Amino acid sequence: MSSLRLFLEDSITFFNLLILSYFFLGNGIYTILMLLSLRATWIHTRRLAYQGLDALRGSPLTPPVTILIPAWNEQDVIVNSVRSALQADYPELRVIVVDDGSTDLTVDRLVESFHLLEMDGAYRPSIPTAPIRAFYINPEIPNLLAVSKVRGGKPDALNAGINLCRSPYFCNLDADCLLERDALLRLMDPVVDSAVQTVVSGGIVRILNGCETSNGRVTKVGLPSRVLERFQVVEYLRSFLFGRTGWHLLGGTLIVSGAFAVFHRATVMEAGGYCNDTVTEDMDLIVQLHHWAADNNRKIRMSFTSDPVCWTECPSDLTMLARQRRRWQLGLCQTLWKHSEILFGRKYGIVGWLSFPFHSYVEGLGAAAEFLGYLLVPVGILLGLVPPYFLLVFALLGFIYGTFLSVGAVLLEELTYRRYPRFGDLLTLLVFAVLENAGYRQMILYYRFQGVLKFLAGSRRWEKVAHAGANA
Amino acid sequence: MTLLWVLIGTCLLIAVAIFRRRQQIRYSRYVRSLESTYRPILATLLSGRHTPQGINALRELPLADLELLFDPLFSAGGIGQKHAPVLQALCTELGLLRLWQHRLIRDEEPPARRGSRHGMGLHPPASPLLRLLLRAKSIRNLGILRHQPSWPLLVRALDDPQSDIRSVALRSLATIRAPGSFRVLVGRLHAVVLGESASPSPRALKAALASFDLTCSAELLPSLRHAHRRIRIFATDILRVMVCRDAALDSDFLLGSEVCIPAIADTLLTTLCRDPSAEVRGRAAEVIAFLADRRATSVLYGLLFDPQWYVRLRAARALANPRHSSPYLLLGIRDCLRDPHWRVREAAMHTLISLGPRGRQQLYGHFLTSRDPATRKQTVEVLERSGLMASLVKDYGEGAGGVEALMVEQFASAAAPLGLSAILRMSNPQVRQKFLDRFLPVARFKMQLQEETPLEANAGMDVQQDLEFPTVLAA
Repeated sequence: MSSLRLFLEDSITFFNLLILSYFFLGNGIYTILMLLSLRATWIHTRRLAYQGLDALRGSPLTPPVTILIPAWNEQDVIVNSVRSALQADYPELRVIVVDDGSTDLTVDRLVESFHLLEMDGAYRPSIPTAPIRAFYINPEIPNLLAVSKVRGGKPDALNAGINLCRSPYFCNLDADCLLERDALLRLMDPVVDSAVQTVVSGGIVRILNGCETSNGRVTKVGLPSRVLERFQVVEYLRSFLFGRTGWHLLGGTLIVSGAFAVFHRATVMEAGGYCNDTVTEDMDLIVQLHHWAADNNRKIRMSFTSDPVCWTECPSDLTMLARQRRRWQLGLCQTLWKHSEILFGRKYGIVGWLSFPFHSYVEGLGAAAEFLGYLLVPVGILLGLVPPYFLLVFALLGFIYGTFLSVGAVLLEELTYRRYPRFGDLLTLLVFAVLENAGYRQMILYYRFQGVLKFLAGSRRWEKVAHAGANA
Repeated sequence: MTLLWVLIGTCLLIAVAIFRRRQQIRYSRYVRSLESTYRPILATLLSGRHTPQGINALRELPLADLELLFDPLFSAGGIGQKHAPVLQALCTELGLLRLWQHRLIRDEEPPARRGSRHGMGLHPPASPLLRLLLRAKSIRNLGILRHQPSWPLLVRALDDPQSDIRSVALRSLATIRAPGSFRVLVGRLHAVVLGESASPSPRALKAALASFDLTCSAELLPSLRHAHRRIRIFATDILRVMVCRDAALDSDFLLGSEVCIPAIADTLLTTLCRDPSAEVRGRAAEVIAFLADRRATSVLYGLLFDPQWYVRLRAARALANPRHSSPYLLLGIRDCLRDPHWRVREAAMHTLISLGPRGRQQLYGHFLTSRDPATRKQTVEVLERSGLMASLVKDYGEGAGGVEALMVEQFASAAAPLGLSAILRMSNPQVRQKFLDRFLPVARFKMQLQEETPLEANAGMDVQQDLEFPTVLAA
């Protein structure tokens, strides 16, 4: 009996240490990222005054870009997304919509809205994909092509788009997203300006819920009315404004949102295109590119800029939110596991020594550790193995540090882009940055824990998130 | 203790966020009031009506406020090129030009510059970061004003330790386009490519050089003849962009000796078209296409059959200009329709379409005689996407004969079932009816003939024979 107690004591002590290290490592690195991003984003917003977008817009040397929109059962949002893509302010632009075997009216809506005609076309795949069933064009909109293919999943649809694309760069855009007019130009600016081959350029994704839209454009920015959506606004600010910016500054970008990013087509093709074996094809491609560059001794650059904006609809109910977060966590775990040789790999530099370990420990395992912590610490107290003050410290640490980081993200937004114009919006964001840590974060943690369990169970199911139609 | 510090930090962040928003509101109010008072005066002055009262009113403003007031004019799309001289004169008169030049030379604010009345925003900044931002904006403004005398200062700024200053200076030089700065920038390009200098990026330098006038191209001659492959690529590409830009503005554009020195033409026709680098040959093809030189035709013909598909592609595209519709080149482009690379074939199709009726006849002729299903499919695709199939169908209904009629009958028989049916579905009922009135008897006759002819005999028929039925009927 005493040996069992001893084992339990040791296990719980070890677990407590694990939890504490997770908290300090995770929050410590997030604080560093926040401080780095504060300075860099502030400077970047000031630089916009002399950025030279006009020169980029007017130069015949600005590389052509193709926007790829993969769509599966997106009948309510597809027309507005395509419209917004076609309206993008970019000198040489083409839009390819890849319908991935939709069973709803996605194709019909496109045909009807853009007066498309089913035409004869040739498909010359460089990356193998499911076959194309039909090509749709309108000679009066020569820069729009829609294709319908046999269902093969989002990565397969993106690969089909890459095969059809002729430009040196492509931009993937989710079917529920709306692009800001100059977003593509801003996204290409670091690509053109860089002396090193920039193979990826990511922008910021903001929440569309609560905004007014017209004809594929956001006409008025506002906060959503639902509590769940407001929490997500704060969460997105934190994730994009200092998460992605910070990792970019450290040179350890592992995630670029699949909703909106530009890629160098030839490099992606050389790296094998999108893979179908994870449910987060965006992260998988980025990690794969790191892998490929290190293996082939190629010097590449990945850029993240926080001013090109793409608006997306966030889940407005718990069921959809749970599906989204489970999928993100499952995809994260799958990708980290798939590319585990990067972990502490010498040739991967900062990615192998900092970014990958951080994502594995804090973002991957951390979800399970923190969630179990919330369960095991009270058990330890009940068994008398953990002093009660530990629970208090654990809860307070989680709450206060989480609040510090969320408020930091809101401050960063305030110091830089200030997209929510009313004073009341700022106060609301601050209130939600505090409240987020008392319930919402724990709920998300639960969904992430479920994602980890799904990974351990070997699940590969893609959970579809239905849109309420903020972009409709 | 840690918790307490984090708590204090959080409260501090909240306070800073609220304070900044309030400060921003005050600042916006001030800018609005400034604009409402002085914007009408500024608008009058910019319209060319020079009023001493207006100038005096603006002179009374501190320079910081003047900068605030003028800033929207220099932001993206703020001012058109035609207003630049008026704005330049105004900025000179108000002392803004001197202020910006001062900032460009020295990383410090002039002592004469007074702060804003508002007391915030554009004080003479103490922080090096804010000074950098102000300097960069000043350089941008000099560029937008196209202030020619400032180019030597801007060239000096290319060696500034701050990369932002270097890139804005480069963009401003590209906007000012002072001929004297072209040679300096070419030298800079050499240094960057040869690794003697790390910045600006070669792509940015190329974009800047390409924005200069074509008359500056003589300075590119050493680069076009340089031993380094990348320098030759950059130089040829710069020349290509300059030429294509001018050609886009003038449909009769020719690269004669008045804009391009003979030595460059010779280099293009004798050296660059045979360059070991395919990228140089491909880019050179596009320039050669505009040369007013007899040798150009044979050189271009040769490039259409270059061993590298990329060069053939560029050459085929370069010939999409009506003045290249000589029978000699037309045959060359037609031969490209049999190219092993689909992109060359596609470029040749587009070129033939752009060359007008003679080019289209070549394309149709090739389609009707080709036995290669892939080429036929590709031709149909190009015709559908270019909208040419719709006009062919319409003309067919109107009674047009010849190769065009054969094309439509081919589409209907099997070559383009989807495209043709879509066009007929979308076209107006009259066009559809006219098409059917003419096509149905042909189709009936063909079906009847197929029923009467034994299968073995059908299998032996060649495509050419098959195509001749409608011609017989039309006759």
